[in-house]
Amino acid sequence: MLLKIAKTTAILALTACTLNAGEFNAQAEKDRLALVDYMEAKFADPLKNRYTFFPYSTDDELKNNIASGLKHQDFAIGNYAFSKQGKFSYDEIKEMPPYEELVEEGEEIYNNNAVIKACFPDPAIGGDYPYFDESKKEVVTLTSAINKCITDAGEKKWNEKKGKMAILQSYFAAASMDAEKKVDIKIESAEAAAAYERGKEAYYTQRGYLKLSCATCHVQGAGQRVRNESLSQLLGHTTHFPVFRLKWGKDKVANGLGTLERRMTGCNKDQGENPHKANSKWMKELLYFMAYMSNGMNIDGPDIRK
Amino acid sequence: MKKLYSITIAAGLALALAGCAGNNASTPSGDRDGDGIANISDQCPNTVLGTKVSKDGCKIYPTILELNEKELCSVDKNGIESVIATAAKYNKTAKAHGVEFKRLGMTNTQYIDGVNKALKTGGKMVVLLNKKGKPDKKLKPVTVKYAAERACKFAISALAQEAEGKTNWRLAVPGDGYKY
Repeated sequence: MLLKIAKTTAILALTACTLNAGEFNAQAEKDRLALVDYMEAKFADPLKNRYTFFPYSTDDELKNNIASGLKHQDFAIGNYAFSKQGKFSYDEIKEMPPYEELVEEGEEIYNNNAVIKACFPDPAIGGDYPYFDESKKEVVTLTSAINKCITDAGEKKWNEKKGKMAILQSYFAAASMDAEKKVDIKIESAEAAAAYERGKEAYYTQRGYLKLSCATCHVQGAGQRVRNESLSQLLGHTTHFPVFRLKWGKDKVANGLGTLERRMTGCNKDQGENPHKANSKWMKELLYFMAYMSNGMNIDGPDIRK
Repeated sequence: MKKLYSITIAAGLALALAGCAGNNASTPSGDRDGDGIANISDQCPNTVLGTKVSKDGCKIYPTILELNEKELCSVDKNGIESVIATAAKYNKTAKAHGVEFKRLGMTNTQYIDGVNKALKTGGKMVVLLNKKGKPDKKLKPVTVKYAAERACKFAISALAQEAEGKTNWRLAVPGDGYKY
């Protein structure tokens, strides 16, 4: 009898734990599915639905440049998912991408640095960051994890935006893509859910003197044009980093690769705001939210952008 | 008749003075600063007459959204020292909240510093800086008045936008406030 009670209690406790763990990401999951629905609806038939989603686009753009019928996984390659003209140039550059040598350099850094190798025994970790450290109650990004690893070993921290940091991360991304990894961000506590919510609020809040939120351009504005650039969409934003940007690498190829933090800092500036530090709580929580939105999508990095 | 008139005035004055004396008295039921809040409940018993006060008798400050940015940041109305002090006051909070504005490589702190430097040296122009914090040769310097007003408006707008954002950010979230 006593054994039965103990068993029942254990099963009940386990069930409660499982339910609770599942509940912590309930809101995030609802947000993610709503975002997928929105993007699929937006790009189902842009010409037909122009008054809802593309009020400022021309007939020519909608007929000849914006792809239609896009589904969830299509968005993993950023704006090349829908920009037909952009995709044409993208495919050509991808035949011999300028970051190839940098990925090899990243592999060398990894293989020759015992400290890094000990901290990250499996390099295919592109889809696992950022995660919420339940003991420290904070978000850990891949960038902050790498810097913690090397500074704990007495080395000087690396630049969080480019150089060795981006080069090593490009190897991690390539290894993750080769291993067919997907973005897999977890929210397993109330504190993690709160960090996600703060990141979400940061993403959707207008900032800077131009009064733009990230969403203005990358949710409601996704697929629309600013000057001659098609704005990319939040869905799939973190799947392909670090990226090699032609504008970053125009003077020195090694500077062409940049981390997510480098790109976000640039976005902050474009909004007309004094950028947040790459290692700030604000930045980490923003990336936590963004990465969760790409959950389940294939890792597709490193990649190339203008 | 004249005597009666004088007596009436004197009595009236005496009554009025007595009334005032009673009101100004530091008795619990009195109202020393005339703000409508009895001394016993007045946490700020010396507010200037006519000031809008709360239930505890203290001045009600306008919220950041109620500030008249155009008026507060007008150099012509307030003088440049007052405008740049307003800019510094609000920008300090904006910076602490992580919402400070930046334009063309120039943070709002740098606008404020540029104005203060010009005021000290008697300069009439503020040199705009690039992202490395050095003079941007591609941009023309701006007048001190222009820089002061911009810094002031940027500081207040950053905080007002932050306050507005607290209530309206969900309007952009698919599946939440954003409908399509």
